[in-house]
Amino acid sequence: MDTLSGLLLAFISIVIINNLVFTKFLGICPYLGVSGRIDMAFGMGMAVTFVVTLSGTLTYMINNWILMPLGLEVARYVCFILVIAGAVQLVEMYVRKFFPSLYDSFGIFLPLITTNCAILGLCLFLNLWGVDSLILAVVQSFGAGIGFTMAICIMAGIRENLQLADVPECLKGAPITLITAGLLAMAFMGFAGMIR
Amino acid sequence: MICSYVVCGISYVALLAGAGAGGDGVVKIFLAGATLLGLGTGFAVVLLVASEKFKVEIDPKIEQIHEALPNLDCGACGFAGCGQYAKAVLADPELLGACAPGGAEVLDAIAAILNLQVSDSGPAKRPIVHCRSRRDQKTFHAEYYGIPSCTAANALANAQACKFGCLGFGDCTRACKFDALHVVDGLATVDYEKCTGCTACSKACPRGLIEMVPFGHENMMTVACNSIETGRAARAMCKVGCIGCGICAKQTDQFGVTDNLARLDYTKYEPDEQAETAMTKCPTGVIVYRGPTAPEPRQPKEKAAAAKA
Repeated sequence: MDTLSGLLLAFISIVIINNLVFTKFLGICPYLGVSGRIDMAFGMGMAVTFVVTLSGTLTYMINNWILMPLGLEVARYVCFILVIAGAVQLVEMYVRKFFPSLYDSFGIFLPLITTNCAILGLCLFLNLWGVDSLILAVVQSFGAGIGFTMAICIMAGIRENLQLADVPECLKGAPITLITAGLLAMAFMGFAGMIR
Repeated sequence: MICSYVVCGISYVALLAGAGAGGDGVVKIFLAGATLLGLGTGFAVVLLVASEKFKVEIDPKIEQIHEALPNLDCGACGFAGCGQYAKAVLADPELLGACAPGGAEVLDAIAAILNLQVSDSGPAKRPIVHCRSRRDQKTFHAEYYGIPSCTAANALANAQACKFGCLGFGDCTRACKFDALHVVDGLATVDYEKCTGCTACSKACPRGLIEMVPFGHENMMTVACNSIETGRAARAMCKVGCIGCGICAKQTDQFGVTDNLARLDYTKYEPDEQAETAMTKCPTGVIVYRGPTAPEPRQPKEKAAAAKA
């Protein structure tokens, strides 16, 4: 699987076909919470991409080089959360220093990346899918982040246009957002089976 | 930070001790504890370095000003929220008093934090809608079925006959964070009890109908029209529009007519007899009171109404 084409396939697979948001319904809270405007959605996507790449890589190393040899698989969750929380803290400091306006508009959602289930989900999936090389783990983690960014940006684009739509009174707000999310997920089902 | 990780590690040791009490648990417990401790310490060091490197100095005064503000994040000051305003006012004291909902109290509080003296800035400003035309007093050439927003309707020439009057789709109502503005029978109507003077509505109105006026008295008199059409054209469009006849200006110099439209000079306004006469003599009844206890405006004279019909 370590050939270039193998890596490329793995990347496309996790971005489009096994997109964590659309097929696993992970990371729904920021997906619905921060997708009001495209620029904010993109910022959120980038932050998540950074965290998921860093923590996916680190947790792969920790899992395979420390926990497995020691037979401490049971400590996986707590270690993974530790790594994710640390990475989020890093991102928070970085964003606060260099993008203060982005920091203000994120508000509570930035520290909440810690509890973004897409990230912990990806770290656990790497193990579940039997990813057997570090470079593949890096590519898949990065792809998961890009997939999340793509999903949240598509959603934000739709919601920006939805502002102008004549939505029935009973569907205004959250209901129409959830319906949109469902339709999007169904659209992405079309890719299923393209690459295993 | 290090502390929290160490605590985390130790508590996990305890957790594992509980879970794997029997068998070969003991070695694993220590291994797990050591691993967690190692990881925790590693991250703690990284984060410590990062927190030093990415340190953001924050002036404690910003925090104080932020606390003194109403924290409504209404945007009346022109900044995104109270946090941004607090930062800006610290850098530029000229911005003092931009917080309309806070009013004089907040102004004094911020001035005290900044060690500044403030002079009296006059009466508080409140919005006045320069239109009094209800739906049945307006003329429509066609029915509008577009996007229900004033900005959209304003882009069309024929949403209603009068190109100056209130469209009544409530862009101002949506802009108001204090539930102080409602469209009543096709006319934006301010609830002065709830209004904080944040200026959001006057910015939202695409026709510029809502003006912030210094309320020197409890109720202000106003010419509730914004139309610069000639008298004939104005009468054809609206039963209660200003026709620019100038009768009010003859009574008192508080009123003046420019471009077929009478205007009250709000800074000069005194509720005296002349102003009262001007109001009763106005042929279309466009001069009305606005304010928390304003009386109902009188109906247009029968003659004018009959001439229209």
